[in-house]
Amino acid sequence: MARLVNRLGMFVVLLLVQVLVLNHVWLLNVATPLLYVYFAVTFPRNTEKGEVLVWCFLLGLFIDIFSNTPGLAASALTLIGMIQTYLVELFVPRDSAEDLDVSAATLGWGKFSTMSSMLLLVYCLLFFLLEAFNFFDWQLWLLRSVCSAALTLVLMLAIESVRSKR
Amino acid sequence: MRNLLDFLKDYYHWLLFVLLEVVSGFLLFQYNNYQASVWFSSANAVTGKVLEWTSEATKFFNQSQENERLTRRNLLLEQHVDMLRRRYMALTYDSTAMERHEMTFLSQYNLIPAKVVDNALGSKENLMTIDKGRADGVAVDMGVACGNGVVGVVYLVSDHYSVVIPVLNASSSRISCAIRNRGSFGYLHWYGGDPSVAYVEDVPRHAKFKLGEWVVTSGFSSIFPSGVSVGKIEQAYNSRDGLSYKLKIRLSTDFTNLRDVVVISDKSIAERAALLQAARDSINKITGER
Repeated sequence: MARLVNRLGMFVVLLLVQVLVLNHVWLLNVATPLLYVYFAVTFPRNTEKGEVLVWCFLLGLFIDIFSNTPGLAASALTLIGMIQTYLVELFVPRDSAEDLDVSAATLGWGKFSTMSSMLLLVYCLLFFLLEAFNFFDWQLWLLRSVCSAALTLVLMLAIESVRSKR
Repeated sequence: MRNLLDFLKDYYHWLLFVLLEVVSGFLLFQYNNYQASVWFSSANAVTGKVLEWTSEATKFFNQSQENERLTRRNLLLEQHVDMLRRRYMALTYDSTAMERHEMTFLSQYNLIPAKVVDNALGSKENLMTIDKGRADGVAVDMGVACGNGVVGVVYLVSDHYSVVIPVLNASSSRISCAIRNRGSFGYLHWYGGDPSVAYVEDVPRHAKFKLGEWVVTSGFSSIFPSGVSVGKIEQAYNSRDGLSYKLKIRLSTDFTNLRDVVVISDKSIAERAALLQAARDSINKITGER
């Protein structure tokens, strides 16, 4: 129950932060932080896979509704939810709890940032690929994806460092 | 049967995954004729309200700047009007003629003031949401302008909000414009990137203009009246096929700081549309009889 409330709070906060603040950030005309991917990255180990998918889809859909891009974030974030449930297994330490939380404190900084950056990179590549469907310019696409992923990673690690100190 | 159930239990998330992706893909590719999906855009009442609150909050911070700019422009226009009135009077000896003309011109248009509640600049297909809708008299294809120049064209209308395609929409915005006092026409086109630079295309080779001259709306379509500012000519290029000029324009509207706009509703639109339709019908009839 506590986890559900926690998830719901995170959902609302990340949604609002993204649509009200981060969507308007356009650093050097290439990098936009897509912080809501943090939501998909931090699902605890062995969460029901269907549940992860529905959460991710809903968050993506809400982001889309606010930013006038139906289906864009929803499709990309659903894919990330799917990958996350499998990827987590590669990064959890041996003999850890079945429902281990995914955070820098439990996985260790190195593993957490490796996993996050993998997911972020896939997400950004897919997101900007779908977004730029009509005007395809692969250099710009790579540049935007990599810069946005890097910027988001920095933000995510900053949040993690605050959370792990508590 | 039991095997099948076990299989479904173990792998149902793959089915769910495919289903959700299909739904998103459907949304993604239906987007272009998205009249039907007005609920999934910022024109719906709930998202409109939230965006309105934030824009109310941020308004406070850039209002003074906006006011200053409008005041300056107002002053400039006053001077223009004054100068023209004096010249007109010297020619016609009729001191009220100009006011009469202005009144008849303005009575043709109905101006609906609106506030921008959401304005994106980041992508190539930007859209903008304003806080007036069908209930306030806004309809699709009406022009939107602000104190400094053109903004865009209404694309989608709900009861209390509308989505506008601004000039800064690379694939959908084509506003007909003309060079002030010279009357050569072209289409305004934006290619993405800098929100203050756009291009006027298809300007004929015989057109005469100087750098720094103003480009205004042509008034050919019934969307905008003629003479609404668009921007200043910064540079001229040959078009790729060499048959026309392409002008680089510094837009007079500051899209990064846009708040108060007016929707221009032309009362003669319906009449003009009906006339055009009648003409088409009669032509079809003639060609049909042959």
